[in-house]
Amino acid sequence: MTTRRIELTVNGRARAIDVLPHHTLLEVLRDDVGLTGTKECCLVGECGACTVLVDDVSVDSCLMLGVEADGASITTVEGLAMGERLHPLQQAFLDTGAAQCCFCIPGQLVSAAALLAGIPHPTRAEIEEGLAGNLCRCAGYEQIIEAVAAAATAGDQTDGASAPHAGLPAVGDRASTPDAELAPQ
Amino acid sequence: MRAFAYERPTDLADALGLLADQGSDARLLAGGTDLIIRIRDGSIRPRTVVDIKGVAELERGIREVDGYLSIGARSVMTDLLRDERIRRDYAALAEAAAVVGAVQIRNRATLAGNICNASPAADTAPALLVYGARVVATGASGNRTIPIDAFFVRSGVTTLAPGELVSAVELPLPSGPRGAIHVRRTRRRGHDLASVTLACLIEPGGITRLSYGSVGPRPILAVDETGVLADRSAPDDAKTDRLAALLADAAPSPTSMRASPEYRLAMLRVLGLRAIRRAIERLA
Amino acid sequence: MTLVGSSPARVGGVERVTGRQAYVADIDLEDTLHVKLVTLDVARARIGAIDTIAACDVPGVRLVMTSSDLPSPMPRFGPQRRDRPVLAVDETKYHGDPVAAVAADSRDAAEEAARLVRVEFEELPALHTLAAALAPDAPLVQDPALRPNDPQAASNVLHEHRHSWGDPDVAEREADVVVEGTYTFPMVTQFAIEPHAFMAAPDGDGIAIWSAIQHPNWLQRVIADLLQLPLAKVRVHAPDPGGAFGGKQHAKYEPLLAFMALATSRPVKLVLSLEETFQAVRRGAAEVHVRTGFRRDGTLVFRDLAADYLIGAYADIADRTVAKGSYTSMGPYRCPAVRIVARSVLSHTVPSTAFRGFGNPQQIWAVESNMNEAARELGIDPLELRLRNLAGPGEEFIPGDTPADGDWSVAVRRAAEMIDWESPRPPGRGRGIAVGLKSGPTTGLSYSTVRLLVDGSVVVYAGTSDMGQGARTIFAQIAADELGAPIEWVTVVSGDTTVVPYDQQTSASRSSVFMGTAVLRACQDIQAKVRSMAARLESVDESSIGVERGDVRIGDRVLPIRDVVARGLGRLGGEIIGVGEMRKDAEPDHPLGGTAAFYEFNCTAVEVEVDRETGDISIPRYVTVSDVGKALNPLQVRGQDEGAAAMGLGHTLMEQYIWDDAGRIRNLGAIDYRIPTSMDLPLETQSDIVENADGPGPYGAKGMSEGALLPVAPAVAEAVADATGAVIRDLPLSPERVWRALQEVREPGEAAR
Repeated sequence: MTTRRIELTVNGRARAIDVLPHHTLLEVLRDDVGLTGTKECCLVGECGACTVLVDDVSVDSCLMLGVEADGASITTVEGLAMGERLHPLQQAFLDTGAAQCCFCIPGQLVSAAALLAGIPHPTRAEIEEGLAGNLCRCAGYEQIIEAVAAAATAGDQTDGASAPHAGLPAVGDRASTPDAELAPQ
Repeated sequence: MRAFAYERPTDLADALGLLADQGSDARLLAGGTDLIIRIRDGSIRPRTVVDIKGVAELERGIREVDGYLSIGARSVMTDLLRDERIRRDYAALAEAAAVVGAVQIRNRATLAGNICNASPAADTAPALLVYGARVVATGASGNRTIPIDAFFVRSGVTTLAPGELVSAVELPLPSGPRGAIHVRRTRRRGHDLASVTLACLIEPGGITRLSYGSVGPRPILAVDETGVLADRSAPDDAKTDRLAALLADAAPSPTSMRASPEYRLAMLRVLGLRAIRRAIERLA
Repeated sequence: MTLVGSSPARVGGVERVTGRQAYVADIDLEDTLHVKLVTLDVARARIGAIDTIAACDVPGVRLVMTSSDLPSPMPRFGPQRRDRPVLAVDETKYHGDPVAAVAADSRDAAEEAARLVRVEFEELPALHTLAAALAPDAPLVQDPALRPNDPQAASNVLHEHRHSWGDPDVAEREADVVVEGTYTFPMVTQFAIEPHAFMAAPDGDGIAIWSAIQHPNWLQRVIADLLQLPLAKVRVHAPDPGGAFGGKQHAKYEPLLAFMALATSRPVKLVLSLEETFQAVRRGAAEVHVRTGFRRDGTLVFRDLAADYLIGAYADIADRTVAKGSYTSMGPYRCPAVRIVARSVLSHTVPSTAFRGFGNPQQIWAVESNMNEAARELGIDPLELRLRNLAGPGEEFIPGDTPADGDWSVAVRRAAEMIDWESPRPPGRGRGIAVGLKSGPTTGLSYSTVRLLVDGSVVVYAGTSDMGQGARTIFAQIAADELGAPIEWVTVVSGDTTVVPYDQQTSASRSSVFMGTAVLRACQDIQAKVRSMAARLESVDESSIGVERGDVRIGDRVLPIRDVVARGLGRLGGEIIGVGEMRKDAEPDHPLGGTAAFYEFNCTAVEVEVDRETGDISIPRYVTVSDVGKALNPLQVRGQDEGAAAMGLGHTLMEQYIWDDAGRIRNLGAIDYRIPTSMDLPLETQSDIVENADGPGPYGAKGMSEGALLPVAPAVAEAVADATGAVIRDLPLSPERVWRALQEVREPGEAAR
């Protein structure tokens, strides 16, 4: 099997690595780069444990090939804190008790960072929607949602993974049934 | 995952050349949200994965071209959701795009990929059908357009010819106001595959375009030109027969584990009436 | 400030939110071989020849192990019965039962080789339902030779548990109303987000195992026994599991890895896929038939309950879940005549094991639904019916067992208030209420060693697995309070059987009570030594010295413990070592081998809205109230209760294994096995606790973490019935199931629409 040289930036550090074409970005990050904060669970894009930011966009790294990341800038959970100073989301997750077993938490944090970058002050429904792709079986969703809201209120989203995305329209009305209208306006 | 070669052509000719050379041993990679799952589970075993994201001619953009809103092959669901014109003029498509997986999937999954998989449950398909979309198929001999209704054959099968790829999906620009909506049934509120997915578009003239998926091998388009369904003053009861006729082509699989045929058919009627009601409201 | 009762930052929290926490899959040993299991895509098959030649030829492959490479007879293990082979021998018993395993230099090579192992096999009929397993001509899941001296060895009934008091047949004459029903609970799986992961490596003249395991000491015994090694030569590393929920209590593939490590003389590592975890652990399904008699005023007269639990092909701990789960089928009520018969029924399915609630959610679904049906039949408010029958504090509601250790009516009334039970229902909505009771640990043994270092900092050794419940934080809080150290100065060491003293297990919501007490006693041991030290230093009698929390009182003076210790230890430094033990011995005459250390009690009340056209349930309001004795860490208590509630909503609304006719799992994987997402929560969740400091643990704590899961399903189903009139006795309450039930309650004319 022939490897392919890719150049990418991971948490601000430029790297050149040789990867096998069939290895996912998740495998490359964990096995080749040695960053094991990003977790492997379902491998079908359902659980979000492997969520990372690729050029500031959240993706399931289990469904992206490592070679596709050539030239990209990747942010993993390890890249959220500034040195020893926790990202406001990390602090909020600790403060609200959202951090239980924490196998899902790296993905939750990265998704939350992407959410807040696009919508600095999300509603509860927007947080639920924004984190729906990150399963938590400790089911600490209430405390996770609180943490994201608290981090948003803390406001200082200057470090780590902020990205200048336009806010997405609110989709999904929690009070309604799943087939109900999703008003994009 | 089994090993394969990876190619990232930078122009269309190279991409088409790889397809021509390797035939079904080559698989196109755009968002990968379906492809990688299928390679991993062994249901497909490509020798080469051709990443089209470097192909200069294939756009990640949405723009107006000759009376159509053209959605480039590399446009992802999130791009559709962000686009003002799609949210305004193609609300049913925006709503469908909004429920394709969770955020991380929508950030990667392309509209073109979604239709090329031709899953009967694809949420964007009914929306494209009611809007009368067309698919731009590009091959060695150039481009041809395929009406979306002539594109789907059955699960995983389209009328795309060997060696062709989808370079854009085009939506006719609206000629006037219309009311449209996408609705679905799932097993939970969070992201899920639809057990019924349905789009409805009502035009001021009384034409109702109804399209539904996940109730047969391919999504179905049915058009009511009688005006019965679009009649804003008529009660639901007066529409049930006409609606039933339009839904008659539904033939859900009896072996699916997601929902029984009886439930799907019943929900098709429920969703149909709800969608019509809301589409009429939106038209107003 | 006292830390106990407050919510300091989680110990290990920073590691957990920064990605630095190392779970088993994250640990990389040099020269590790990667293991892939070889399974057949059938449930039950007679295994023929296994051809490993092509697999062995894959570059990097070091071992392809089949049953013929293992000792003969095949070594077997299991927490209750030694029935589980290290690898399937002669016959696969369920979909996913491994027949071989490959170890290779890379995951790619191991996967490639696993695909190339050629197994000849003949598919055999598989049993995956109770009816099939109990049919008179059903094939036997287990070879009767594995069940010597067992009168039921010629059937698939592994064990029948009977428990009764009074005479229900006589009592029935006193009943004005008898309410009867059969209720079913499907197979569901733990779905910890961390798939099970294991490593094994030769370690000097012994072996080291790494496993995301809840009971490292139990695993140590299993491995020592299989390899015939002394315990001291088996070192189990148990890094904190990424969620366990009971599914990581007992050995699964650690024995296989141990044999592979010894065969290759290299470390071997197996990280299961999520699909493989579905094929490794699940909860037992159950069919529960309940008959309950009442007087007209609602007083309970008798209960007669027969439950069949569908367990898997190997016993694991499943039969214990049946025994213990069914034992409390009378719930928290007083009732003079009760008969409980529960059977563990073997099948060709994934071995069921412990799962939050441990056999109780199945029967609670049945009996609390039955109580709600009775309330309707009697015309008594379901809240009132419960309050009328609830055992009072100190009442021996299960003869011979621990009396009620709480005033449970407080929790019930609190839940009712919080949901505004007495207020009129908003239009279209229904309300439901249910309670759950679970017997805590019946035996237990936890040791802790605590070291008070010369500078006043503290090291706590506590063998509990911190799998998300926050055990380390609780122990650190206790030690910090008792020894007067800031919590940041406390280190909690766990997860290494060579270093950390014995702990029986992390299960049954026991750790705060058992290990918490052991830690407290170790701290008290240190306090006693400090008292002697202070007496020596001050030349006063010990009786005039008090050590409380972090303070040393000598007459009127109060000195910080660390000052006394620094002075007492002198120039050589050193430390003070305390040991603590909490033991609850077995009681051989008790049907469960021991009385309840405590009870977990929860009351759940919900308000639902049902879409009558689609069957879809939404939950605008959800209330859960647990009696916890004392919340040692209120934030963690809340996380446990709300998490248990959301997990309970999973089996209530959407979760279940789906099987094909051949006994294969159809929804194998996350796409079609649905669990709740952040969008599937109630619109509003309120949780509360009752604290009367009436538990046996430190400061009056009881165990908690499972209680809030117990009554979810019957509370929701009752609310659905209240809203629509549709009574449903099978889970999950999927939209389609609710829709079908609604078809039945509609007027015939309406149904035709």
